[in-house]
Amino acid sequence: MIQFDKVCKHFSQDFILNNFCYEVAKGDKVLITGRSGIGKTTLFRLILGFETPDSGTISFDNEVINEKTVWNVRRKIAYVGQETTIGQGKVENFFKETLSLKSNIPIKSTALHNVDELFALFYLTKDMLQKNIEDLSGGERQRVAIINAILLQRKVFLLDEFTSALDSELKNIVATYFFNQPEYTVMAISHDTLNLECCKNVRHLKLDSL
Amino acid sequence: MNGAHELTILSMIMTAVLLLVPILVFFYLKMGIIKNLLISTVRMTIQLLLIGFFLEFLFKLNHWAVNLAWFMVMITVAMFATIKNSQLQVKHFARPVLISFVLSNLFIVIYFNFFIVRLNYIFDAKYLIAIGGMVLGNSLRANVVGLGDFYKMVKRDEQLYYYRLSLGAGRFEALMPFIQRSFKAAINPTLANMSTMGIVSLPGMMTGQILGGSVPLEAIKYQLAIMVAIIAATVISIGLSILLTVGSSFDKYGRMKTDILVKKQN
Repeated sequence: MIQFDKVCKHFSQDFILNNFCYEVAKGDKVLITGRSGIGKTTLFRLILGFETPDSGTISFDNEVINEKTVWNVRRKIAYVGQETTIGQGKVENFFKETLSLKSNIPIKSTALHNVDELFALFYLTKDMLQKNIEDLSGGERQRVAIINAILLQRKVFLLDEFTSALDSELKNIVATYFFNQPEYTVMAISHDTLNLECCKNVRHLKLDSL
Repeated sequence: MNGAHELTILSMIMTAVLLLVPILVFFYLKMGIIKNLLISTVRMTIQLLLIGFFLEFLFKLNHWAVNLAWFMVMITVAMFATIKNSQLQVKHFARPVLISFVLSNLFIVIYFNFFIVRLNYIFDAKYLIAIGGMVLGNSLRANVVGLGDFYKMVKRDEQLYYYRLSLGAGRFEALMPFIQRSFKAAINPTLANMSTMGIVSLPGMMTGQILGGSVPLEAIKYQLAIMVAIIAATVISIGLSILLTVGSSFDKYGRMKTDILVKKQN
């Protein structure tokens, strides 16, 4: 599904990735750990084409990611970023606006059906829909971003510190949700100690100094 | 009652005396800007004197080609001032912003002269240069805010832009919130100005016309027309400036190029 082939990437003097090879198969759940600045987020940014490798290739669905294919890759991956700058205005309008993007129009009519269910699952009350994103707490905003990602009905998830602002109970609820869906392919970065007893399938990828 | 009361040499001396007020205040507050004030005043005097002679010549000649040529010079100067004040790279922006300014300002001024004032001679020096200057000056101010802040905002809020790309947005869709914000920032001062107009301030154009002998109602009609023309020119020029520069400011991955903004020197 996602394949890193001899990828090198450096910023100024530091090599972040040096001949990095890794493969994620369909349905895999990968938990990425490693100290700050080691390049965990860079892996995601390379997949999404926000960075390009100095050498080597990254493939998605057996297609090398380049300036032409990257736009399609972005439409198949749901990404939850570390920063919670997701936009402004009412939460409900935020969901609707996401679904109004041209490439999301096909799912627009069905996407919002399970919003209530997801809100309940992640301990959000329904009146949150009418609140402004700017007024939400970090934890609330993080859950809104996660729900927005799920609503897109995509099967591949890149989750960057996706539970950092949540309490320990919610961390596990959210992690379990993603790791227990057989059809999801998930790459997740986390510094949190997650209770993954129920998710035996999770692979660990520890990035070390090179 | 025709024309404003003439200003004599004595009038100008009295003007210079008035300049003593800011000089004394700055001196008392030990602010090192007296020199700047004097330099600016001298610059303004020389520029206005030269332009005064030049305009007198231009208005007498009143040839459409000369008038247009001078308007082009004004536009070019405005373009460079816009780019310099918004910390954008001159090399990258000069051509598209020039095209945007020429199209928007020329269109508005011709529309104004032909459809609103109904001049027989639409390239008349007085109208082309005076009206054009007002519209252009506002385009300049609006583009410094609208165009400059647009690229600065995309850079500062890069995460939001990338997030929208990851949601499946095309480049233009991903830039939408930034475009909206930039229009808003550019238009807001004009809107605030409009909503207090006549009560808080008598705009320069009306003042000039009233002193020049027009009846207030005539001056008001002109003022209404010029304000709408300014808003239209602002919107067209910012829209065109963004539209004409976006294509070359982002790479094929949709990332903003790094050499768009002038690096701040510390």
